[in-house]
Amino acid sequence: MLSRSVASAVSQVSSSTSSLLPNSKQLFSFKTLSGYRSSSFCGGSIRKINHKPLRMTSSSMTPRAMASKQLENADQLIDSVETFIFDCDGVIWKGDKLIEGVPETLDMLRAKGKRLVFVTNNSTKSRKQYGKKFETLGLNVNEEEIFASSFAAAAYLQSINFPKDKKVYVIGEEGILKELELAGFQYLGGPDDGKKQIELKPGFLMEHEHDVGAVVVGFDRYFNYYKIQYGTLCIRENPGCLFIATNRDAVTHLTDAQEWAGGGSMVGALVGSTQREPLVVGKPSTFMMDYLADKFGIQKSQICMVGDRLDTDILFGQNGGCKTLLVLSGVTSISMLESPDNKIQPDFYTSKISDFLSPKAATV
Amino acid sequence: MIDLSNSRILGKKKKKKTTTTYHFTRLSPTLMAPQLLSSRTFKSLFDSVDTFLFDCDGVIWKGETLIDGVSQTLDLIRSKGKNVVFVTNNSVKSRRQYAEKFRSLGLSSVTQDEIFSSSFAAAMYLKVNNFPKDKKVYVIGGEGVLEELQIAGFTGLGGPEDGEKKAQWKSNCLFEHDKSVGAVVVGLDPNINYYKLQYGTLCVRENPGCLFIATNRDAVGHMTDLQEWPGAGCMVAAMCGSTEREPIVVGKPSTFMMDFLLQKFGTDSSRMCMVGDRLDTDILFGQNAGCKTLLVLTGVTSESDLLEKGNKIEPDYYTRTVSDITKLMDSPSK
Repeated sequence: MLSRSVASAVSQVSSSTSSLLPNSKQLFSFKTLSGYRSSSFCGGSIRKINHKPLRMTSSSMTPRAMASKQLENADQLIDSVETFIFDCDGVIWKGDKLIEGVPETLDMLRAKGKRLVFVTNNSTKSRKQYGKKFETLGLNVNEEEIFASSFAAAAYLQSINFPKDKKVYVIGEEGILKELELAGFQYLGGPDDGKKQIELKPGFLMEHEHDVGAVVVGFDRYFNYYKIQYGTLCIRENPGCLFIATNRDAVTHLTDAQEWAGGGSMVGALVGSTQREPLVVGKPSTFMMDYLADKFGIQKSQICMVGDRLDTDILFGQNGGCKTLLVLSGVTSISMLESPDNKIQPDFYTSKISDFLSPKAATV
Repeated sequence: MIDLSNSRILGKKKKKKTTTTYHFTRLSPTLMAPQLLSSRTFKSLFDSVDTFLFDCDGVIWKGETLIDGVSQTLDLIRSKGKNVVFVTNNSVKSRRQYAEKFRSLGLSSVTQDEIFSSSFAAAMYLKVNNFPKDKKVYVIGGEGVLEELQIAGFTGLGGPEDGEKKAQWKSNCLFEHDKSVGAVVVGLDPNINYYKLQYGTLCVRENPGCLFIATNRDAVGHMTDLQEWPGAGCMVAAMCGSTEREPIVVGKPSTFMMDFLLQKFGTDSSRMCMVGDRLDTDILFGQNAGCKTLLVLTGVTSESDLLEKGNKIEPDYYTRTVSDITKLMDSPSK
């Protein structure tokens, strides 16, 4: 069952932070890390204490972290790591459009012998479906290199030996359902429950299955009151029912033209009704980092996390002890990075990943 | 560990001695333990207040079902010369619609201006803060909010009809939103959907100076008589999740409504008693405003919720149901 630190992370009920999932003892052989905190809704964040001499330590109480440097020597960064972890939305693509220069960049990195991994908080698709998306966009990426938060939810349940006779209620899209099925778990809910209506009238009682042992909440375009109530009843009334969030991103680039309300909204709704904080499996929780480091046998110091979002991608990399590179091709602008309210400083920043192709300074 | 096995008998007057023993063991230096309402304590409470403020869901009714004995109790309180008002966080109806609900449940003595709903509070907040009439208000909530906004002279968008709308997410397809929206009001919305969340999110994130107002943040409530349902706290938290902002809360426990109540009665809040079923809204509202507080157990809070160690909100008094007031009024005080 859950290790102590996970249990203590679960018992933390704070209105402004979620319980991030430390690595599970069952699956991984290294030490269990204490719970990390994600950034709060109001923008503050707390970094894990980092013992590397080059980086400033830690909490939001200490003097502001060293400012991020513009990437001037791409070759030096590339040579210093063995693996690149890429976020997808805003880094590789925007909606269904590939970002300029991405195929050549990935090919160049592979040619240099680098391992490439893709970690996305977007839970709408399964790894297999993401594999198809990469293929459609002309990118040579294997399903085994993709770690979506839909996969993370199923992997987490596996890591804690979630009983196969218990069910999982899903507030989210197909990707989560597919991954749960692949992992051998029984599920209820998903997009179909988006069609269910309720009528609040005297004598009406909404029933729910008492053998639901976990509610998984992710981005859901078919969100409605039926699902919120079903999930709420399971969490409040089924003893020991887990409340798992794939991620808490406030907004996401569903289309390239604009931002859309993200998974953080659906998760927020369930937090509002249950007054419980979820276990977060997606970034900035290091669950996926720990999983892939263990799977591929990689040292975290040999990894560079490349993402467009400070409070998920960069914090994920920092919490995991990797190098971090922010790209400005997604949700974060230079003014957001440099704002005095921003406490998260990546090691480097650059305009887009194809800047790797020009080894010296690229203009931002 | 405090032995709560006697707690079951705290509802019955004859076991008072055990109650007293229990209370002494629980008294903390900073908080006075809540007292079970007895005929003695009731008399002193009744004499010290001029106005009773009642919450509605879980106190007066549950869903569409009136709680037993409420009608007689309200009549009795009025007959003794006390004022009665209703302060509800449920924003689905307007004050006028609530008056109709009272009438349909046989409580026709209740008039519209005795009702202070959070739908009314939202409109009043905009009014007292001189919200410009050329700006619009996007509503994630029920008809009640739209009606109150209209009465106050504001233009509302959204509301129940946006429950039918679906967002499109194709390349080259932009989700539009009205740039003249200057405030988003979020309340209980059983017709919540992605369209509304997206619309509200764009307004709050992209319209400069756009206000984010919550009618209330109740986690759950008795929308039907048989069970609890997610409350406005759910829709508000969904919007906090996507906007990364905290809202201005106009309903309980915020004391915003108290100003209107004081204006109406011209008395001190210390001469008022808030009667409610929820600790973190009703009782906290009463405490924040300086009123006396009476918790009833016919709604979302059970006796064990009240008496558990983790609970930090303690009303002055508690009793099982509103109609206990009738029983206590008639019984001789000890």
